[in-house]
Formats: sequence, C-alpha cells, structure tokens
Amino acid sequence: MAPTILPEFFVLLGTDLFLLLSLLTCLLEDRFPKALPYVFQIAAVIGFGHLMISKEFLAIFGEYMRFWYCFFYLLVALINIVAINVRFATSQKMWLLAKAWAGTITFPSIMISVFFVSNYGYVSSAEFPLLLLQVGLVISAIMIGVSAAFFLNPDLITKFRRRKEVN
Amino acid sequence: MQVKKILSSKSMKFLTLLLSSMLIASASALVYYSLNMTSTITTATADNVYFVDGADALTAGTSIFNNNKSATLASLKAYPNMTMSYDDPLRVRNNHTSTSFTVRLRHVSRTGNAADFEFISFTLNTTTTASLNYTSNGATWTDPSASGWVTVSPNTEYAIIVQTRANATATVDQIATIEIAVDVQL
Repeated sequence: MAPTILPEFFVLLGTDLFLLLSLLTCLLEDRFPKALPYVFQIAAVIGFGHLMISKEFLAIFGEYMRFWYCFFYLLVALINIVAINVRFATSQKMWLLAKAWAGTITFPSIMISVFFVSNYGYVSSAEFPLLLLQVGLVISAIMIGVSAAFFLNPDLITKFRRRKEVN
Repeated sequence: MQVKKILSSKSMKFLTLLLSSMLIASASALVYYSLNMTSTITTATADNVYFVDGADALTAGTSIFNNNKSATLASLKAYPNMTMSYDDPLRVRNNHTSTSFTVRLRHVSRTGNAADFEFISFTLNTTTTASLNYTSNGATWTDPSASGWVTVSPNTEYAIIVQTRANATATVDQIATIEIAVDVQL
C-alpha cells in the first residue's frame, strides 16, 4: 500500500514556507517593514499550534474538515509569497529581484504544493471532490508561471507578436 | 554601547530568527511524525479471536457455529455432591500473528431450577484467570458480574474450563441453560 500523507502535511509545508519568508525578509530588511520577519515567525508558530490542535482532536475532526483547514493555511503562506513577489515587481520596481524571487521561491513553492495536493488526492481516492481542486491548482500554477514570465519580461510579448506576424 | 550595536546588527537578528526557525520547524516535524504514527497503527478486527474445539469437545457436546463466533456445550452433566470438571471443552484462540488482545467473560442470561444446582463455573485460564461463577443457595441463583480483562497472546489457544455440581437433593433430568459472552477488546 502506498504510504499516505496526512492533511496536516500541508500545515507543515505552510509553516516551513513562513519560516523561509521570515529569514528572507530579514536578509532583505531594507526593503520591508522591520517587524515583517517576526510577523512571519508568529505565523509559523500559529502553524505549530495548528498541528497541536489537530493532534489533540484527531479523532473528533473528520478528514474532510482537517484537509480544508490545513489547505487554507498553506494557501495563506502561498499568498504571502506571491504578494511579496508582486510588491517587488510593482511598488519597488526591482525587476531583477522580482524575477529571482519568482524563479527561486514563488514558482517552486506553488509547484511543490500542487504536487503534494495532487498526491494526497490520488492516495485518498478523492473521498471529497478533489479533482476540481487538482485541476484548478495545476492551471493556476501554469498561469502564474506564464504570467510572471510575461510580466517580468514584457519583451517576450513583443517577440511573440512579431513571430505571429511573420507567420 | 558596543554590545547594543552587536545585538541590533542584521547578522544577530538573522541568527536569532534562524535559531527560532529551526526550533519551530523541528517541533512541527516532530508533532507531524507523532501524528503519522497515531494514524498508521494497524487495527485488528475481532476476527482474530474465535472459538475452537478443545480436547473434551466430544464429551461436552461442543458445537461451534457462526464462523466460530458462537458455541454451545450441550452435554455437560452435573452430579450431586460431586464436582464435575470439563478441563478442555472449548478454547478461545487468538489467531493474530503478533498482536495480543484482552478478553473477559460476561454473564448474559440464565435459566434453571436453583434447587437442583450448587454451582456452575466457567474459567478462562491464561496467565491470569477470568472466571464466572454461578452459585445457588438452593432457593435462588446468584449471577456473577463480568470478569476482569485478561490477555490472550498471539497465535495461542486457551481452554475454558467448566465445572458443575448439583444439589444433594437434585432430581433427575433438570436442565440449566446459561449464556455467557466472551468480549474481545481491540
């Protein structure tokens, strides 16, 4: 039998993403409010508390409920990563950093999350309507990747249009 | 002043955050690991514990049915002033290869004339003993409460010993019917 991952894995993943954000925002402290790394640390501690609650009430909470509150926590962590990426790209006009962030943090984080959510849905034989979720996440990840590429490098659009005109 | 400067430096902040991050990540992973262990304990079903015939099954009139979950001992005798002991009419088997279970004997129902019997007892002999002892004072029966839980080891059979004794003034062909349950705790 394939080893299953528990819904709490998403909380663990979200906690680690928050810790990563905390360290990165500390390194880039000139570009962020000084309290931000500590806010992310607190968010990670909340994730830890989340796990403790899940552990204590494992028998009471159904898997459906556990999945959704764990997935929501992961989603919040991912939204924070994307938000920082957008902040770099828009308000601070740091294209190079935004591109690096998108390539090394945003895109891998989203793809890893998509992979594990898909895997969870497959192993759990989708007792809840996960198919829609998997498809939605994969499409979202692809869209974010393509959009980020076009957004951060507008020349790509021009190149794409030229090629179309030539054809 | 120098200490304050060091403490407020970027590297110091980063080091603090790094240490607390490691702590939170390790603690979270540990909790997740313990959660994983909680969830992957293999549960065994009661199918692992069932009745099998003992060496005295023929004498005691043992018949087993309902996928070895029920049994009747139809030929047990009781004699006046003499304790009749059936040492191995029926056995409880734990067929699991590695898991021990706890079982107990529990009174369910009883019929029969109290004036004709002194006692009827059932004993499950494991390393500790679980027994049900039905006694009569000649006028009324005293039904026992459930026995304590005893452990049945994996891949092992344990005999249920039945002892009977009729009253000195008992008349012939009197029948007592007793139903007991063997509860299995998973």
